[in-house]
Amino acid sequence: MNIFTLTAVEFKKIKRSKILLILIAATLILWFPNILNADLNFDMSDIGISPENSFFIQGFMGMAWFIYPAVMVVATVILVQTERTNHGILKMLALPVSTPLLCLAKFIVLAVAAAAFILFMTAGYYIAAAAAGALNDYSFILAPDYVLPFAGKLYLASLPMVSVFWLIAVCISTPIFSVGAGLISIVPSVLINNTKAWFVYPMGYPFYLVMTEYGEVAENIGKSQMDPIPWIPVAVGITLICLLISCLCFGRAERR
Amino acid sequence: MSFRLECKKIRRTGLAAAFLAGSVIAAALPVINTAARPDTFSSMTGSPAAILSDANLQMISMLNLLLITAGACILYHIEYADNGLQKIQSLPVRESGLFIGKCGILLPFVLMMILFETASLCFCGWRWLDAGKEELIEMLQTLGFTLLLTLPATVTALVIASACRNMWTALGIGVLCVFMATMLSTDNFIASLFPYALPFQILPGMETERVIHYCIAAVCETAAACAAEIIHLKVRRLFA
Repeated sequence: MNIFTLTAVEFKKIKRSKILLILIAATLILWFPNILNADLNFDMSDIGISPENSFFIQGFMGMAWFIYPAVMVVATVILVQTERTNHGILKMLALPVSTPLLCLAKFIVLAVAAAAFILFMTAGYYIAAAAAGALNDYSFILAPDYVLPFAGKLYLASLPMVSVFWLIAVCISTPIFSVGAGLISIVPSVLINNTKAWFVYPMGYPFYLVMTEYGEVAENIGKSQMDPIPWIPVAVGITLICLLISCLCFGRAERR
Repeated sequence: MSFRLECKKIRRTGLAAAFLAGSVIAAALPVINTAARPDTFSSMTGSPAAILSDANLQMISMLNLLLITAGACILYHIEYADNGLQKIQSLPVRESGLFIGKCGILLPFVLMMILFETASLCFCGWRWLDAGKEELIEMLQTLGFTLLLTLPATVTALVIASACRNMWTALGIGVLCVFMATMLSTDNFIASLFPYALPFQILPGMETERVIHYCIAAVCETAAACAAEIIHLKVRRLFA
């Protein structure tokens, strides 16, 4: 079986997992209070940001700092536990399928789930901006040629984080440790983003990207720089190393 | 009997080690935070308890909630995996006893976490903000308040975990609840009564009347969650 067939099989496995429901619920919880409190965005004169930019950044900030990483941790649990219940993984390992490919196929599913969440967020943003605009008689909608590239950048910046979560889920077979380690790693990201070594902590990348954008569009917010060197090489390195180790470790606990 | 059985069940889940590690991390946060910039904190006005809890308690509560959610999911996951729950249901014991046993496991762990965090905050106050005896007692009160307000979320997390067959459903709902709590505005009293939002309330600087309201709310919500679980078990049994 090649990687495409394997990925298709993996998608079939999580068809009934309700992951899409969780993603949609997260989008709703995020944008609904933002619509109701949209009038707060008019009172930003001391920060020097336009209301529509403020609305956009506030929403994406709420997403990037907690719910996006947390939902990805839940998605890793889905991927791992669907195999572990009823020992499905033993059957998969007995097939003449390469285990690294199987692991990669699962990672692709995870990455697609991440893409789906960003897509929902962006769609949610446009619906929320339209609704908030109707409530306050003001156009909150930003041009798609600004929003869509930003969402794309956010997705690319989050891939190292997703690969770290995948590594944690594959290598730590005790569920409480993999879930706990994933969730707890989210909390200090804000602290680490304030230091000079922010680029070594993938869990902080999405939030850092949004904060950099905040500094760009607001006049009085401290500018933070996102220098591609050493960030990009480090991020690519972390992603590749995580994927490599998770592919090597995949199914090891079951095979012994 | 139920409690001893529960202790045996969690032996190989790593729950105790996870909570111990979580407690150490949560206790380390304020120490690192204060040690990194002691001058910022010592120049602030206000009691040490207020300064330290303003700087750290939100993050600590977040950690507590995440760990409680994950712990509750695991506690029920070991029942649902390999159909352990069916065997319990066929025994001549009340099913609600299982829930009480799980509460009896999770609550001491929560207590342990908060004790670690209290110790660490008291240490920070004593080391960098030269807190005296009275200030330390204020710190104890602050953390005691946090402990009381964490109870509803703990019991609610167990109720959610017991209702969901798949671990990720419970985990997903728990994570969404924590997220919702961070999105709710803190000024609105009704919104802050949401079980997962309660632990984010900080005692120093709060009016006495509001403190009493929160305490009553926490006790009521805990009782309501227990009642909801018992009703849920009865209904589930009827339709099983």
